[in-house]
Amino acid sequence: MRDTQEALLAEMRRWGYRYVVTPTLERLDALALGLDADERRRLFKLMDADGSVLAVVGERTVPVARLVAGSLRAAPLPLRLCYAGPVLTNDPGRFTRRREAYQVGAELVGASGPVADAEVIALAVRCLDAAGLRHHQVDVGHSEFFLGLLDGLALPADLKPDVRAALAQRDFVALEALLAGTPLRSAEHELLLRFPALRGDAGILDAAGALVRNKRSERALEELARVHELLLAHGLGAAVSLDLGSIRNFDYYTGVIFEGYGPEIGRPLAQGGRYDGLLECFGRPAPATGFMIHLDLMGEVLRLSGATGGLTRLDVAVAWSPAGLEAALRLAGSLRMFGMRAVLDTEPRRLAAALEWRAALGAAHLLHVGGGPTVAWSAGSGSRVRRLPAEQVVARLAEPDG
Amino acid sequence: MISIAIPTGTLLEGSLRLLRRAGVVDLGPDEIGRKLLVEHEGIRVVLVKPADVPAYVDYGSADVGIAGKDQLWESSGSHYELVDLGFGECRLIVAVPEASPLAGPATWPPSLRVGTKYGRATEQYMARLGQRAEIVQLHGSVELAPLVGLVDAIVDLTQTGRTLRENSLRIVDEVGCSTARLIANQASLKTRTDAIQELVTRIRGALG
Repeated sequence: MRDTQEALLAEMRRWGYRYVVTPTLERLDALALGLDADERRRLFKLMDADGSVLAVVGERTVPVARLVAGSLRAAPLPLRLCYAGPVLTNDPGRFTRRREAYQVGAELVGASGPVADAEVIALAVRCLDAAGLRHHQVDVGHSEFFLGLLDGLALPADLKPDVRAALAQRDFVALEALLAGTPLRSAEHELLLRFPALRGDAGILDAAGALVRNKRSERALEELARVHELLLAHGLGAAVSLDLGSIRNFDYYTGVIFEGYGPEIGRPLAQGGRYDGLLECFGRPAPATGFMIHLDLMGEVLRLSGATGGLTRLDVAVAWSPAGLEAALRLAGSLRMFGMRAVLDTEPRRLAAALEWRAALGAAHLLHVGGGPTVAWSAGSGSRVRRLPAEQVVARLAEPDG
Repeated sequence: MISIAIPTGTLLEGSLRLLRRAGVVDLGPDEIGRKLLVEHEGIRVVLVKPADVPAYVDYGSADVGIAGKDQLWESSGSHYELVDLGFGECRLIVAVPEASPLAGPATWPPSLRVGTKYGRATEQYMARLGQRAEIVQLHGSVELAPLVGLVDAIVDLTQTGRTLRENSLRIVDEVGCSTARLIANQASLKTRTDAIQELVTRIRGALG
């Protein structure tokens, strides 16, 4: 899992996102800003010495926002930041899920508009690539599209919270019953009932555009169209779909939203979107967008697809017989200088025993250093052994595709 | 391959009939009852306990499932509830012994002790009424509990009310009405949109 985290953070750094460390404990009232009532209830809480209520972070966007408005107050916007760390939530549902999860995320604070939206989505896709996920897909939607539909609906004001609640619970049977009571069957009405199916390529934008009659939804569709064009220019045609029916916390998100899915797993791996209202709560109003990746789910997907074991990768196992110890120490040092992960054995071994040791370690290569001028080199799981001078082995291993 | 979780028990026959009428898959109760998992023309059908359908769907082991609304009340999952399938209708009711002075909610004591298999639905119902209640989670023969003084009232499912009458229980309020529902996994809806939409359309069509 650590490898996946490193791959994700490395990709984020390549895009100019700077790593920040955020606290694990925050004041509850601060954390609560980004969460709905249900999510607030699930936070683990504890009492501070002065009687104020603290909570363990359940996500890390709010702590990043606090950092931007606090100790990074002097730093000019836009700021590109990334983070990784554990989050804790208490899920009282019928399934006993793990309380602790690990999230890696990136936030772009201080930039509004489609270029920033597209950058963050493209980064999310590239992160899924970098983690080694072969098949994945990112769905892009817009929170304002739904809110526009709700405005456009000839709905008595007292029913609107019920419609929102039914949709938040993804209960389309209840939604249908609520809408059946409305006087007019509008296009908005039809669109809401078809909500889970409003998904596809750019064509879905035209199809929806022909139906909506409210400015708010129309503006959302225009923005989505622009973001979609930019994503194509980012080289992300196949990986991205448009999903007008994505259901998220509509009080928090204020624009383009997106979710990433992998194969064989019933929940989104990555979630993100625009939240222009949050920074203001901490006294430094700024537009912002970002995303986070559920590292545990990612690990599960990678494990299911057979891409990785439980421990981090090892490149080279260096074994030695008594006469070769000093040469082996120098060899391991050179390998590390070239950025390889090299393990040096702690006791002498013969070549046959060393091959078994390498297999048990799970290292990609074995080098066995005896007293002679060459070292024995075995690559992969095969038992074929070549003999080369030490410098040549280092040079071969240090090649990018070696 | 789309996989469908269908429940054992009273909803099984209606579920199989619906899948047959919709032209999704034609299976007899014996056929699926013997094997629990049948693959047939690109459809995988898994037979699970009614209360387990939401788990199979929420975790994505089944793309869609057929579950009674009574089971969905008890589940906090993240599935989509797409279609009211209309069959398997039953009511979740509050019942008390014939001899009890309790009638509707207005007559209930400050704190009511209730026995039920449906803890979450009961809790939400009592909260809606502002009624303080001590909920005793039971797993079977709920009708017995008030007769031996374990609880003041029960919250249980009934179709015809016969079992209640046989045990000298009287219905005093209705918590909700349950029918079979089609539910779908959230990721399946996104990654297999077309296949699932087609399935939903065919099932809606078969409902008439």
